[in-house]
Amino acid sequence: MRFTRYLAFLNKPYLLLLGYIFLSVVLMNFSDTASLQGVRWALLQVLNVVDSFKTEFTYRKNLEAENERLKKENFYLHITNQRMREMVLENARLRELLNLKTEHSYDFIAARVIAESSEKGINSRVLNVGEQGGVRENMAVVNAEGLVGKIIGVSAHQSIVQVLTDLNCRVGARLEKSREKGIVGWGGDPWLDLEYIPKNIRVEPGELVITSGLSEIYPEGLKIGVVTDFSETDYDMFMSVRVKPAVNFNALEEVFVIKTEIPENIARE
Amino acid sequence: MNKSHLRYLLVFLAALLVQSTIVKYMEIVHWRPDLLLIILVMYAVQYGRKLGSTAGFLVGVSSDLISGGLLGLGALSKTITGFIAGGVSRLFQERSQFIFTLFLGGLIHDLIYFYINTLGKEVAWRVIWFVHIIPNLFYTAIVGMVIYYFAGRWLKADD
Repeated sequence: MRFTRYLAFLNKPYLLLLGYIFLSVVLMNFSDTASLQGVRWALLQVLNVVDSFKTEFTYRKNLEAENERLKKENFYLHITNQRMREMVLENARLRELLNLKTEHSYDFIAARVIAESSEKGINSRVLNVGEQGGVRENMAVVNAEGLVGKIIGVSAHQSIVQVLTDLNCRVGARLEKSREKGIVGWGGDPWLDLEYIPKNIRVEPGELVITSGLSEIYPEGLKIGVVTDFSETDYDMFMSVRVKPAVNFNALEEVFVIKTEIPENIARE
Repeated sequence: MNKSHLRYLLVFLAALLVQSTIVKYMEIVHWRPDLLLIILVMYAVQYGRKLGSTAGFLVGVSSDLISGGLLGLGALSKTITGFIAGGVSRLFQERSQFIFTLFLGGLIHDLIYFYINTLGKEVAWRVIWFVHIIPNLFYTAIVGMVIYYFAGRWLKADD
């Protein structure tokens, strides 16, 4: 009898609404707990299965055309590779002359996008490679066009990438010509904003924006985008620089996770 | 559980999968329809505030789990949307009930969602209004009308 009295609130719409709001707020507070993450990864496994069907279908459909295209690309890359090899050798000689060390050489983990966020503002993609493939949280993700984002969640077989156009994404950046540092963040899809660039700095549309290398997550020199526009106001010390991302996030399919040693304090964040 | 509820359940599950995997191919500029919102509003219009908010909560949690975002954020916005859609739908004439409720529900959903998601951040609300909320709302409404036209009766039927 008492139990049914407790359940009586289920018949009152406002009390029920308050109950769900309370549960939602509780979920927000415990969003990162292991058990909730476990449920999240289990659901993503289902998506992986759906994706494997889709991939198999499109794979067979495009195989012949892809083969032809790859042959041409292979030929082109062969020639480019030869030229690059010459340049690397030349670069090594010049570095030796300047007594500079080669700073980084990274391993890449190839991954495929299997799903993306269904909510507006949150811009994330689910990759088909996880902890067992060597992916760890806070590793940077790139493709041939430039910087894609960073890993924000990892399970055994999948991982989640927060892409640059996510509301909460911030990347230490640098203007390629002036070398001035700033922070790139969300500027309203599909744009990015480069902040904290002083007004006395000369900025030109078309100038490249690259990672500054000051963060321990993103290696230096990864292409973020191109300056399209900038504006100044009398009351602000900094100008507002609008950046077009180098990566076409709508057509994101294959990416590479940069395998780096993430320091303990960052990995735990 | 009658057959209509079962049909809605299947459609919700299908919409969840399609929203995460296929809707990206329906993107125009960078606007996408929100299939879950459409089905939620249809359900809330038919079954009222109590079941509307319950469905909103469950759909929101599932969507949060898949999207990789903050767990509970979609649940909160969809719960309130389901509740309001279930309540206000009675104010509209039957012919235009769904579309007006979808507009109002979508607007409230996006406002709650973006407000909480941007708490403590400097964001241009003008951009959010004109680049996200309004175009997405219109796109969702158009797709919603198509779904309602083809599947509305089938989903509603109790037999």
